[in-house]
Amino acid sequence: MRAERRGDAVAYERLLKEIAVVLRGLIRSRLARAGLNLEEAEDVVQEILIGLHSKRHTWDDTRPFMPWLYTITRYKFIDTTRSLGREAARRANITMEEMAEMFEAPTEDPDRTLLDIDRHLADLPPGQRQVVRALGVEGATVRATAEQLQTSEGSVRVLYHRALRRLMAKSQGSDNR
Amino acid sequence: MPSTQHTDNLIGGLARQAGSSLVADPRAFKTVLIVATLCSLGISVALVLALIGSRPDFAAAEHRAALVYKIVSMLMLSLGGLFLASRAALPGSGRLTLAALVPAVIVLGFRAVTDRSGLSALGGSASSTYGCVLIIVGASFLPLVILLRVLRIGAPTRPALTGAIAGLLAGALGATAYAIACRNDGGLYVAIWYPVGVLVMAALGAAIGRRVLAW
Repeated sequence: MRAERRGDAVAYERLLKEIAVVLRGLIRSRLARAGLNLEEAEDVVQEILIGLHSKRHTWDDTRPFMPWLYTITRYKFIDTTRSLGREAARRANITMEEMAEMFEAPTEDPDRTLLDIDRHLADLPPGQRQVVRALGVEGATVRATAEQLQTSEGSVRVLYHRALRRLMAKSQGSDNR
Repeated sequence: MPSTQHTDNLIGGLARQAGSSLVADPRAFKTVLIVATLCSLGISVALVLALIGSRPDFAAAEHRAALVYKIVSMLMLSLGGLFLASRAALPGSGRLTLAALVPAVIVLGFRAVTDRSGLSALGGSASSTYGCVLIIVGASFLPLVILLRVLRIGAPTRPALTGAIAGLLAGALGATAYAIACRNDGGLYVAIWYPVGVLVMAALGAAIGRRVLAW
């Protein structure tokens, strides 16, 4: 984003594309639950990107980027999905936590990742496997998972990120073969 | 996928506009907001002077304390409103906390409690309170329009609340200007009726802001 202010179009384009990939993954899975198709999901992604772009001058570069990104994404998301009915938009609401987690994992095609995970889950140490299954597959909250595994929320997050990194490294490794 | 390709084209187009923001960053935005606020204050003062003129005994010593309290409390309210307006229009810049209004409340409360002049909370005449609120609103309306226009340059993600804050700021500016003409010095009077005027403006701001501030 700082590069964008200097006029660096290449860096800015790369950022927008990364954001688009993450948004697309989040929104497709969310809106599918509300009964919407891929075309509409893509429309939402585009609306969010346009919104972020038109208000890019409102990000204070001495402050964290994620809260800014999340606030505008949420606003545009609710606005765009409003026409799809209040119920659908409420069910599909994305949380800040989910967005942050998606951005921290290395960018990968979300659809392909889901297929690989089942195969690779078995290779994880049991602690990481449990956390990934609870958070990533079953969709439990961090708090519920921590309670279930009788550990702290912080440990759950750490395990989750370690597990994700391991899985990503694995699937990238299998690609190079 | 055709629509993904469409998005990539869109991104390409957006990227070409890199570095071209008219208002370049939050600092520039805040500058515009401050300038607009100062202009609004000037407009409010001009309106008050034009519509009813300053009170005849404006410079009199016995009214000076009351005048100072009115102006200081309303300026503090304006500063609080300005602080909140800036946060409301810049996502991720901080929470909208009521603490911003506390200084003004303290000054008003202090004056209301310590005022020994015995002046009525309903003012000098039967229509004092209506006149007070009406003039504050009248002097604040144009500032509200200006401030809403400026806030649109930002990214207000809660349009109604941002509108209310704009109304609060505009009302506080109008009330500051009104202090020049106001003939009622009672501490309790000021502590009640000036905020009433400001709240009316806040409600107006919320109602207008809901539509006008969406993007």
